[in-house]
Amino acid sequence: MAKWGMVFDLRRCIGCNACSVACKQENSLPYGVFFTRTVSEETGEFPHASRVYIPTICNHCEDAPCERVCPTGATSTRADGIVMVDKEKCIGCGSCIVACPYDQRTMVEPEMLEKGLFGTGKLTPFEQQGYARFTPGTVVKCTFCHERVDAGLDPACVSTCPTNARIFGDLDDPESKVRRLIQEHRAKQPLPEKNTNPRVFYID
Amino acid sequence: MSRHSHAADDDFKVGTRQQTAWGTHMATAFFFGEAGAGLFLVAQFFDFALGMAVGLLMVVIGKGGGHLVHLGKPSRGWRAFTKIGSSWVSRGLAAIVVLSVFGALHLWQSLHGVLPAPLAWLVAGIAGAAAMVIMVYQGFAMSHSSAISLWSSGLMPITSLVFALLNGVLLTIVLGYNEAFLAGHADTLRMLEAAVVVLILLGLVTILSMLNAARYGSEGGRESVRLLLRTDFAATFVPLVIGVGMVAAAVLTAFAPKGLPTMIAVLAAELTGYYAFRILVFKAGTYDPVMKFGRSFTH
Repeated sequence: MAKWGMVFDLRRCIGCNACSVACKQENSLPYGVFFTRTVSEETGEFPHASRVYIPTICNHCEDAPCERVCPTGATSTRADGIVMVDKEKCIGCGSCIVACPYDQRTMVEPEMLEKGLFGTGKLTPFEQQGYARFTPGTVVKCTFCHERVDAGLDPACVSTCPTNARIFGDLDDPESKVRRLIQEHRAKQPLPEKNTNPRVFYID
Repeated sequence: MSRHSHAADDDFKVGTRQQTAWGTHMATAFFFGEAGAGLFLVAQFFDFALGMAVGLLMVVIGKGGGHLVHLGKPSRGWRAFTKIGSSWVSRGLAAIVVLSVFGALHLWQSLHGVLPAPLAWLVAGIAGAAAMVIMVYQGFAMSHSSAISLWSSGLMPITSLVFALLNGVLLTIVLGYNEAFLAGHADTLRMLEAAVVVLILLGLVTILSMLNAARYGSEGGRESVRLLLRTDFAATFVPLVIGVGMVAAAVLTAFAPKGLPTMIAVLAAELTGYYAFRILVFKAGTYDPVMKFGRSFTH
């Protein structure tokens, strides 16, 4: 069984946020909900100023604190390492949100589904079909586009990235591209001091 | 600037981020849980039926109600029983149910004395243990989360325990001031008043230690301390939590003329300060920035 993981190549990321848009389209994410963001920070001063882009996503941690604190078992890890939320079991207590060091979980508020992406209160046909998958009062997060992965495809953000800054693959396969990148570039995990052992790695 | 682009400004920049998942409803539930369970335990020690009854009501209605209002799906709240092995929220819910049942049974026994002695002791022990769990589990539920440095401290459960005991002692003094176990025993009242001052000092030390640990723990922790001591939060935290809830309450207890009005004033000051503390600790909870990691890159 594969153990899915992702590598972000920061040398390639140009901060276009096409990944964020693709994710919102693929998952019909309502207003205010992002499963992935590319955050940036400007550092230094002219003429030595630079901008750093860091894509962020649910890290599908091996020792996921969100799963540990969930009082209902709504958060669970699949055999392939993808951390999922069962919207039928979630009671909306928010324990997982405050337990996630990466702030990658969102509570679906009713107004998110009523407001519409254009803020007019009228939902487009795209939104009407897509919002049916959300239950107000429950928590959502990135699932590595598990339906696509199960069908043998890459997550939408990976397929869309124009610079191949996102690489998805099997962490258990020594021949996979993600494993080679991690080994060759001594990839780093985000906030390692939190002891969550993320399945998302960063290289530069 | 449109609302959309304003949101993008906040969400797409690196930096610390305040948590918003746990707010006033959760703080209210925590407040009633610690005050109610503390009152039940102290009242149980004195076999003070009114105190136990009020403590139970605070836990069941105040704490239970606060949690139900907080939940996104309150009708599914019963599901929170299912992960007692790993979740402090589950353990807390179990303790609330155990206290509700065995606490009511103990109260009934205290008023009517119908149970045989060994069974009565067992019921009292279970009820007391459940109250003790409620007094500390909220601190564990917060400290268990490594995501928020201000909360991720071993001092958090101690703070919960200290303030639960403090609330319990003060409520017992006020509710039982004219009852035989206090009115007829001046030494007991003096002991409880001394305990109030000691617990306030202990609470002050744990809060200051917690802030110190957060300040030197991480960037998120520093931001939490900054929020509490240097921003709009400070206008409430310093005068209300520290000034009214701790300093004024301790000074009144130690130096004001003894009497029920004084203790009511102390109780009002302490509970106000403690409720503000609970709300502000939630509001000031801050995630570490992912940039802490990003800054290690050289490109």
